[in-house]
Amino acid sequence: MNIVEVNQLSKTFELHILHDKMITALHDIEFSIAEGEIIGLTGKSGSGKSSLMKCLYRTYLATGGEILYASSEGKTVDLVKATDHEVIALRRSEIRYCSQFLSVIPRVSAIDVVADPLARTEKNRDLARARAKDLLEVLGLPTALWDAFPVTFSGGEQQRINVARAIIARPRLLLIDEPTASLDTRTKDVVIGLIRDLKQEGTSVLCISHDDYTLERLADRRLHLQSGRITNPITEII
Amino acid sequence: MSEHNWLLRVRNLTKIYGEPNERTLALTGPEWNSNICPDTDSIVACAGVSFDLYPGEVLGIVGESGSGKSTIVKLLYFDMEKTAGSAWLRPYNDGRANMLEASGQQKRYIRNHLMGTVYQNPRDGLNFRFSSGGNIAEKLIMAGSLHVGSIRERASFLLEKTEVPVRRMDDTPAAFSGGMQQRVQIAKAIANNPPLLFLDEVTTGLDVSVQAKVLDLIRELQQELGIAMIVVSHDLSVIRMLTDRTLVMKHGRVVESGLTDQILQDPQHAYTQLLVSSLL
Repeated sequence: MNIVEVNQLSKTFELHILHDKMITALHDIEFSIAEGEIIGLTGKSGSGKSSLMKCLYRTYLATGGEILYASSEGKTVDLVKATDHEVIALRRSEIRYCSQFLSVIPRVSAIDVVADPLARTEKNRDLARARAKDLLEVLGLPTALWDAFPVTFSGGEQQRINVARAIIARPRLLLIDEPTASLDTRTKDVVIGLIRDLKQEGTSVLCISHDDYTLERLADRRLHLQSGRITNPITEII
Repeated sequence: MSEHNWLLRVRNLTKIYGEPNERTLALTGPEWNSNICPDTDSIVACAGVSFDLYPGEVLGIVGESGSGKSTIVKLLYFDMEKTAGSAWLRPYNDGRANMLEASGQQKRYIRNHLMGTVYQNPRDGLNFRFSSGGNIAEKLIMAGSLHVGSIRERASFLLEKTEVPVRRMDDTPAAFSGGMQQRVQIAKAIANNPPLLFLDEVTTGLDVSVQAKVLDLIRELQQELGIAMIVVSHDLSVIRMLTDRTLVMKHGRVVESGLTDQILQDPQHAYTQLLVSSLL
């Protein structure tokens, strides 16, 4: 079963403050993601990878086409046209986006930053914090940092917080941008393992990466973007 | 979140100062770059504002000074009389009666039981002649609490929650720092567990460390108590941190609304693009 079907998706930015300049980021994108499938999204910087991911999360409003999402309630929702409230509800319960950069409220501890999404869905902060500790331990974040504020952390530490936060509530669809970029090999393997665990539970993943090591171990298929177009018919990885 | 379980529904909310004529609305707004009617000199503070707010949702309203964002909150909290428009609040008559048309007595009931507000200036929300505990007690008494012991207990609980030292409960807010005054105001606003809270520029004028503390408090209260909030701010980082959805206002009109991350990363309206690109 497909969880996502993208049809003729396009995105053009109209920059009113630059004399209505038009910049087209995506042309006629078509692909689907099956339940429990991990798709690696590749392409040079500026090829449209993040734009595509942001259209799926509705951070960007697509200009044309449709993104059909099969929700856990058995409904098909077009994420291009869904109301803001429908999108908010899906984001809370089943779709999760993990950007390259951590963006958090200052002065919230690492544990609470990670626990937040689960505390919202489970309504049980103690349980969420316990699960957050487990994840931070697996990811090798020094215990001394658990109560500290992530804004002061190194790039690799922030990335681990970001990944932990994205997977803690076990989303059905995970959109994840460069999850292993600033990590050493051992930590990369842990992150890859955690995402594979989610896949076993049925989570579908779209993963942007420049890193062959990660993609070889993670992706079932690859989708390559060039100047906002898909250039390969999705490559099957055997 | 189904179409029908909104907490607050607002339609066509409008406030005009002066004597408008039938062309006033057509001759004002962002496309005229003015909210002053050229015919009548009447001022359109806000016009045609419509939105739904769901239980536990946080809605942001951004825009420059004078764009009408505070007016919306003042109309909904009955600090101001509307010119036109309707607002329904679910716990009031099961959402069937326009609360803006309610009698004075009913409006007092709604204010005291179903809403709380935190103003930019603590002097608007607190009585500086009362102690901080007395301010909270005032809100509780208005909402029908009469037992002195339980009022005192609730007040100290709230001050603890908002990290105001309980031993200073009998001091007047005049003796407190700006951040602490703001936290007393928040304690007062949530004293009777309202389902809806208005926050009008609550961190403006506080230094950054105090600002972070107030923001963290608001976020914690929202998660713990599930209060729906309308956050008015000209500060996009406050909006980014606290809200799910945002309305962008200019010259009294909503020029754009959407998910907060969409408004900040893919703004559609020229004014929002200018606002976002001006962010430091």
